[in-house]
Amino acid sequence: MKIEIADNKGLKVIALSGDIDMHSSPELRKELMFLVQKKVTPLFVDFRGVSYIDSSGIATFVEGLKGMMTYGGKLKFVGIPERIMEIFCFAKLDKVFEIYGTMNDACNR
Amino acid sequence: MITIPSHPRYLSVIRSVTATMADIYGMADRAREDVKLAVDEACSNVMKYAYRGDTGRKIVVKFFIRKAFEVVIEDSGIKARPESIEGRSLDDVRPGGLGVHFIRRTFDVFAFDQRKKKGNRLRLIRHRREEDEDRDRGQ
Repeated sequence: MKIEIADNKGLKVIALSGDIDMHSSPELRKELMFLVQKKVTPLFVDFRGVSYIDSSGIATFVEGLKGMMTYGGKLKFVGIPERIMEIFCFAKLDKVFEIYGTMNDACNR
Repeated sequence: MITIPSHPRYLSVIRSVTATMADIYGMADRAREDVKLAVDEACSNVMKYAYRGDTGRKIVVKFFIRKAFEVVIEDSGIKARPESIEGRSLDDVRPGGLGVHFIRRTFDVFAFDQRKKKGNRLRLIRHRREEDEDRDRGQ
């Protein structure tokens, strides 16, 4: 998994690529929780390059979201591939996370 | 059969082999991805619970391609208590507890072989489903 953290017109974006599994999710958790501790909001996660996610990756995002809720932060997911979206739907997380097709959509809401 | 060290870095190897075996079985893409995820979750559970994070142990994964698709996962760690293995409610949104759901939705049989004296032998069986045969029909 590759993690890139960028500022897109002043907005914080975590761009992920590759597999998110039990091996890579601790690194993701470290980066995500660092931003949560800084009370970043909104925080965008670009999933377009993600090829796989397991329950440890999902748990990382649930933890991040719960942390952000303590300060009213917004966690926005962008460009989730169909297969990963299916997993989110099965886990009923499509109703929990804010999910958008594009960065423009995510920024405008 | 494949043997891997109980380090999470080897999960990608398990996923790759599982996907190849599912291909050989003739599974459609969706089913292959489900099986890949479920076997990954089962091996992750061995690392977390049977070996409690000890990365120097062994996990043996066997595949049997018969009428059904069968995977057997063996370890020599702490005995699982099958009665206590239950995922969280999907409505109870919190970190963890999803892996078992991914395994159970994919495999028809999720059973620990109680005859194994030391460690665990988890048997996962997926009977052929209609969606598995899509590829055979060229859909």
